[in-house]
Amino acid sequence: MNAALGTAGVTLGLAGAVLGVVVLAVGLNRRRRALASGQEAAGAEALLHLGRPFAWLVLAGAVLATVAMEIALVTHDFSLTYVAENGSRATPLLYTVASLWAALEGSIILWALVLAGFLAAVAHRFRHQASDPLVAWATLTMLAVAVFFFALMLAPANPFTTVAGAVPADGPGPNPLLQNHPLMAIHPPLLYLGYVGFTVPFAFAVAALVTGRLDEGWLAATRRWALAAWGFLTVGIVLGAWWSYEVLGWGGFWAWDPVENASFLPWLTGTAYIHSVMVQQRRGMLRVWNLSLLLATFSLTILGTFLTRSGVLDSVHSFTESPIGPWLLSFFGVVVAVILGLIAWRGDRLRAPGRIDSPVSREGAFLANNVVFAAFAFVVLLGTVFPLVVEALNGERLSVGTPYFNRMTTPLGLALLFLMAVAPALPWRKASGELLRTRLQWPAWGGAGAVAGAVLLGARGLAPLLAFGLGGFAAAGALRQLALSVRAARRRGASVVAGLVGRSSGGMIVHLGVVLVAVAFAAASAYLTGEEVRLVPGQSATVAGHTVTYQGMNPPAETPQKTVFSARVQIDGAGVYEPALNRFPNATQTIGTPSVRTTLTDDVYLTLVAMPEEPGDPALIGVLVQPLVAWLWIGGGVMALGTLLALWPGERRRRVPASPAASPAEERPAGEVDDADDAGGDVPAPAVVGS
Amino acid sequence: MTARRWLPWLGLALVVAVSLVVGAGGRGGPPTDAERKTALASELRCPTCRGQSVRDSDAPAAAAIRTEIDRRVDEGQSDEEILAYVDSKFPESLRLTPPASGLGVLVWALPVVALVAAVAGLAAAFRRWSAEPLPAPSDDDRALVERARSTGP
Repeated sequence: MNAALGTAGVTLGLAGAVLGVVVLAVGLNRRRRALASGQEAAGAEALLHLGRPFAWLVLAGAVLATVAMEIALVTHDFSLTYVAENGSRATPLLYTVASLWAALEGSIILWALVLAGFLAAVAHRFRHQASDPLVAWATLTMLAVAVFFFALMLAPANPFTTVAGAVPADGPGPNPLLQNHPLMAIHPPLLYLGYVGFTVPFAFAVAALVTGRLDEGWLAATRRWALAAWGFLTVGIVLGAWWSYEVLGWGGFWAWDPVENASFLPWLTGTAYIHSVMVQQRRGMLRVWNLSLLLATFSLTILGTFLTRSGVLDSVHSFTESPIGPWLLSFFGVVVAVILGLIAWRGDRLRAPGRIDSPVSREGAFLANNVVFAAFAFVVLLGTVFPLVVEALNGERLSVGTPYFNRMTTPLGLALLFLMAVAPALPWRKASGELLRTRLQWPAWGGAGAVAGAVLLGARGLAPLLAFGLGGFAAAGALRQLALSVRAARRRGASVVAGLVGRSSGGMIVHLGVVLVAVAFAAASAYLTGEEVRLVPGQSATVAGHTVTYQGMNPPAETPQKTVFSARVQIDGAGVYEPALNRFPNATQTIGTPSVRTTLTDDVYLTLVAMPEEPGDPALIGVLVQPLVAWLWIGGGVMALGTLLALWPGERRRRVPASPAASPAEERPAGEVDDADDAGGDVPAPAVVGS
Repeated sequence: MTARRWLPWLGLALVVAVSLVVGAGGRGGPPTDAERKTALASELRCPTCRGQSVRDSDAPAAAAIRTEIDRRVDEGQSDEEILAYVDSKFPESLRLTPPASGLGVLVWALPVVALVAAVAGLAAAFRRWSAEPLPAPSDDDRALVERARSTGP
């Protein structure tokens, strides 16, 4: 029953996507021919308006498939192979619902659902411009991507296959690591919203190439979509780091694991894109580069999915392997080939007039930002696939791990912090020395103060000190911009909040979040102290100034899901924390649950390494002390807040512009002409809407 | 005038320089045994797990290597001796830092080459841009400016 319902959903979605592609292609072709021969194109345009019903059809199919799988999971319908392999009667409801993304086939359903959601949202948002070829081509591109993912569900990764033979009475449940923390319920969906969200700007980029409308219209139309996708991806990555910190039990939050890298790569190119796009909106330059960054972002999500789901790379996250590898690789190849072909074909129109006058300018800083982000992405990609390449070339097996990534990316990260500090103060076109001295003086003192303060507090080591100093510099620079923006808002009689809303202020708040994350990352990695201590009940040990006292074991707590053996450990004579080992009925290895005392200054991370044989015997307890870890999560939250503020329609958007050419310059604060918001992005672009 | 302009920056440079000299120099001698143990365990891949280091893994094989590292550090062996011992015990390398020899050179050199090429390309572009004269404004441009001025705020 559920299998039939699910298969019906997948088939419906696939049919809707295929038919949508065909109808839109026919409509676009007829419209082109009609216009070429000077006839009425109304009939063809009616076809283009059918894109929206087809998008809704695809969404209906995806929802049906999702609902069918969720019903099967929640009602323990073990006749479905997926449920038989990933469900169990003992699993709590939350994790049962989240089992949809605990393994590959279910993840593809989620992917298709999110994609269909974005497709329907685009079709709805641009419903009045459906006959615009740009919108039609973008919809067609998204439908084509949907065809691929729905086809995956019918052939190589079918989630609705039924078990052969007798239906089992119970299943093993999801991988124990995936039912150990509630973050599991939200981290993957957010990550997918980010991954899949970049399909929207990608589709518009393809549409711009195909239609030859390579002006800034498509950029303005997709600015918020790209920003929202970036925000989801950011939060997804931060929550993933948090999950691994709370669950994996080694006290780390980032391991340069292939799956982490796979999510980080599109983030790097996506971040480069949302910066360089401003150069194109402002100056009309970097067209090929922006298209390439979007292509890279979209195809890296596909490549990342291939690398991590096909089993070619070892990853702590490879919970499943499956035969979809060749499919994903082929799709990746097709996407790259199509875009490169389109860019080559449109090469003449992509040549933008204009030049960058000085490297010491806003656009110069964006260029530098892009070079560093591209290098960063290159290092991460190279390090991730290098073992594969070497093994293919000469059969040698080598690993590229954390030491490599840390050594290579530290200078790049520091360079980005420096740019983050300087770039917002730079004017477009050209900066004079005098101007830089005025604008950078207080931020620079912020940086110097951060270094001096850190040294006084006992921080040592060149790399972390540089991170703190440049972080302080960047944070002070961002605060200065925010203060100017708030002052300007007050002067024109608006509220303080109005000064914090919009792309420019939102961006500065994101910068503050990045600084928090960078400083926390540097401090936590550079100054961690770890020890394993063997303690009998009542005995204490001191690690990095914190006293831990082992009080004894709790009686084993048995639930149908698992048996929990937890120790009682007191930290600094105050709170009692209970690191535990969990034994799941269907797993051989015990899974640890760390217990963490978090404060704003440092985290004490406790793990139960080995249980005592007898109640009075010593237990082996891992104690890890890391400074500032909490600021990683706070910084992630600040980045999310900044993204929201940047997405919020600013005043300029709500105010109906008198004419498309209404000058945004009038609202710029005096003396800070070039610091004001890049209003170009907030002005609705009539070019997209019309034609 | 000039002095007043530059003095704050001089002070700033002094603060940063002194802080960095004090902070970067003073790690306080060679690493302790505990630091060496952690560093060595972070350098090695756990042989039975997927993508975790010996330090991060709680698998028995990783625990065994950690015990061996601890023992040899306590015996006074050098980092190189210990890593060489681990290399000799396993058929394939457990090192997480790729070797700077053979094909492994590429993973270190390629990003540097790419970055240098990108920076050189940008520098060339800037030189070309600054060599080109700015295009003279056309009549259309002038008309556009005129229109903007007359309808301005």
